[in-house]
Amino acid sequence: MKVIIILDQIQAGLGGKEKSDTPLGGKKIAMGSSENIEKLLEKHDSKIIGTFYCGTDYYQDNKAVVQRKFVKMAEKMGADVVITGPSFDYHDFSQMALELAEKYEEANVPVISAIAKEKNQDLIDQYREKLLIVKMPKKGGSGLSEALDNLVTGCLLLANKRDTSQFKQDYCY
Amino acid sequence: MQKKLEKFLMPLAAKLGNNVVLRSLRDGFLIITPLIIVTSVFLLIGNFPIPGWTEFWTKIFGSQFLEWFSAVSNAVFSFTGILASLAIAYAYGKNRGLNPIHAGFVSLISFLILTPTVVKVGKQSISAIQLQFLGANGIFLGIIIALISVEIYRFAVKKHWTIKMPDGVPPAVSQSFDALIPSGLVILFFFLVRIMFSISPFQTAYNFIYTVLQSPLKHVGISLPSALLYNFLASFFWFFGINGPTITNSVWQPIFFVATQDNLKAFQDHTTLPHVFNQPFIDIFTTYGGGGSTLALLIVVFLVCKSKRIKELGKLAILPGIFGINEPVIFGLPIVLNPIIVIPFIICPVLNTLISGIAMQIGLVAKTTGVLLPWTTPPIISGWLATGSWTGSALQIVELALNILIYYPFVKMLDKQYLADEKKTMEDDLDIDFSEV
Repeated sequence: MKVIIILDQIQAGLGGKEKSDTPLGGKKIAMGSSENIEKLLEKHDSKIIGTFYCGTDYYQDNKAVVQRKFVKMAEKMGADVVITGPSFDYHDFSQMALELAEKYEEANVPVISAIAKEKNQDLIDQYREKLLIVKMPKKGGSGLSEALDNLVTGCLLLANKRDTSQFKQDYCY
Repeated sequence: MQKKLEKFLMPLAAKLGNNVVLRSLRDGFLIITPLIIVTSVFLLIGNFPIPGWTEFWTKIFGSQFLEWFSAVSNAVFSFTGILASLAIAYAYGKNRGLNPIHAGFVSLISFLILTPTVVKVGKQSISAIQLQFLGANGIFLGIIIALISVEIYRFAVKKHWTIKMPDGVPPAVSQSFDALIPSGLVILFFFLVRIMFSISPFQTAYNFIYTVLQSPLKHVGISLPSALLYNFLASFFWFFGINGPTITNSVWQPIFFVATQDNLKAFQDHTTLPHVFNQPFIDIFTTYGGGGSTLALLIVVFLVCKSKRIKELGKLAILPGIFGINEPVIFGLPIVLNPIIVIPFIICPVLNTLISGIAMQIGLVAKTTGVLLPWTTPPIISGWLATGSWTGSALQIVELALNILIYYPFVKMLDKQYLADEKKTMEDDLDIDFSEV
């Protein structure tokens, strides 16, 4: 399974909040916190073929361009699944993750997200019906590795075109 | 192994992190912390750690120079017990769904009910309150009063023992009547408690709590083993992605708070500092650049790493790291769930605790004065300001160097692994070119 992951500048290891103006970019490896997901994917003969990153402020100012380029590039690289997040309880990043997920959904690219309910209830209410959003803890909360396990399980279901309704009921919003 | 540990630790962490009493203690102390930092600055200016400083200004302004500054610091330091009681009751009331300001005041009044208001001066008795009852030695009493008074208040509210006003009465008025019976119940309770203690050998609730609880707890809590355990757990939880200090602080904070206040008082009175282990000790002499002493990690990255990814992270994270912000490296490296880096991440703070603790206990390095500095104060400067001595900075430099040595092999290992990954994916086309789409 070929996975593309989308992160903000903090999770991609490109600095803190002060780097929110980081323009979109990407590398053909697992960057920053996606290292943890890469390790889980390896157990299923899968790998991250690309990390797309974008600063949250840059995204806000250039939504249309980022959305178009991220979707097109994932299609071009032949991703089986796109993960937007995990975005913890960072609200700006969670919003970016879910808006991008919506665009992938519209382009029929399998997509899955993971956000925490803290600070994000508005987004969950808005997107829970149409998107697959895995429950995860807030930054520094307990249950992170379990949530990442669930996220990878979701990826496998999506990539193999299996039914996700039970999964959604058990592990998603 | 990791899974098993997690199974055991997760529920414990969640329980401690979500426990309403512990959470309220944490929130309550957070209310007074900014006040302590600000007033600490006044104390620090009055007693700036440069030889001859105080004497110089006293010559110019006269002997009242120190008094001006201590008037400000005393406004908080001499009243920490009663302030803690008010703030914790406010937080606890809020977390329990009560009107927080009512909860705070009812606790304040209860505290005053239990405070002796007659002082014997020679043969005469005068009406006065001794500061000792309101300050650091009264913190545990203040905590207990806050929790009990809010619980009694809540009990009455839950039973609907309130006077209902007809519709149309302004909310401020009806709220005031709502508080009548619950407040009465709390006051009645502490009235009886005061009588009970006055006929007991302890005479006051203050004496009782100080003797049976605060003093023994201080003895156990303000010690090297206790500080070691604190820092071990604080780092260990991070490995699972859990913010360790929020868990450990909820247990240790009251003790460290008292120890800090004891030192501050002694510093202000120019007497011997009683404790080595307190909040500034933990903040300033056990970790550098945030939890896990990650500034050392970043320096290693900056100096020796070859992998593009790590180097880039080092460049971006070192400046925030100097000021104690390590979020970019915790998630960016990542440290969370990383079995290699977790080893030095735990070893460094624990070892620093041991070295700093012993160095201060044997008098090689000056103890912390209890002055609370903003947590973003960079090391070396913070060591000097916190102890008022260059030995504090020297200790920090030694420990930082040691931490660099400890991190070195582990970071190198990670660097090698990342470098191999990067080589596998041909170096030159590692970047994804978004101009193609």
